Amino acid sequence: MENTAHSHPVTSPKVYLGVLAALLALTAITVTAAGIDFGAYNTVIALIIATMKASLVALFFMHLRHDKFNAVVFLGGVLFLAIFLIFTLFDIDSRVLVLPGNLKAPVQEFPGAPLNKPVRPSTGSAVS
Amino acid sequence: MSQAITTVHAEQDHPQFLQHHFNDMGQQLDATKIGMWLFLVTEVLLFGGLFVGYGIMHAKHPEAFLAAHHYLDRTMGTLNTVVLLTSSFTMVMGVWAAQTSRRKLLILFLVLTLLLAGAFLVVKFFEYQHKFELGLLPGSFYTHRGDTVPGQFMFFSFYFLMTGLHGFHVIGGMCAITWLLIRAIRGDFSASYYGPVDLVGLYWHLVDMIWIYLFPLMYLIS
Repeated sequence: MENTAHSHPVTSPKVYLGVLAALLALTAITVTAAGIDFGAYNTVIALIIATMKASLVALFFMHLRHDKFNAVVFLGGVLFLAIFLIFTLFDIDSRVLVLPGNLKAPVQEFPGAPLNKPVRPSTGSAVS
Repeated sequence: MSQAITTVHAEQDHPQFLQHHFNDMGQQLDATKIGMWLFLVTEVLLFGGLFVGYGIMHAKHPEAFLAAHHYLDRTMGTLNTVVLLTSSFTMVMGVWAAQTSRRKLLILFLVLTLLLAGAFLVVKFFEYQHKFELGLLPGSFYTHRGDTVPGQFMFFSFYFLMTGLHGFHVIGGMCAITWLLIRAIRGDFSASYYGPVDLVGLYWHLVDMIWIYLFPLMYLIS
């Protein structure tokens, strides 16, 4: 880490304005894409666009493109989040029924049930 | 103690805002930035737990999440996204103004950021009010009748926890920006000392970044 002014370069407002325009354009794209049916890929597309927006914010607004040390710190945090998410999803994938902790299956009624019949909250199917 | 240090600093013609344990302003800025980034990582992991929970329940109950998300107003969500992205821009322009010693522009951009943050919270207030009226509340507080798919309350548990925690971060950011504004009016910031503006800016961009992910996950399910 240098202490010279060179390690903290000043970015031109024009660049920031361009990044804002890109962020707003990507917002318009993601809202439009949500209206089109891509099947299971809708969520993937939405998350890819969100990651593009987050990258723009991190690289330009948060100056990570001039700040390699803190980029490593931040990506380290993101890496641990990815490990958390991926390994949890592996585990969840092997389970049939996942319910919130405040519900025991089957329940007599779930909040908002149209008919107070015994149902499984996950599927809505009647309990025999 | 601090008085003694102030005296010593004055004698040595020391930069006003340089803490005595740093060699120079550049080192001070680098060190405080690392601290801020470490804090931001803990924030990512804090929200990460909620995002993982959301991912699990969404994966297991896709119909419930799809049906429940229709109670959200996509227009208001998009409006809030635009407001928050623009506030990130005004914040980074504030950092630029501080870096280039433009005091009046710094004050202007900080005020604009505060106004946009306020606008975000006002839109959020009307969204929450609509949900409160319909009884679309988290967990066992859910009193909405006429659900077509069971388990819709789960979506609102995540909706209120995640947007609520995010909302508290917006309020925290507004407090920090108000503090910056007071110091900017006092004339503390210049090209040689803009650390606090930079650090609050980083925090504000992280709050923006979290919303960038919340928006498609909450409002754009299809």
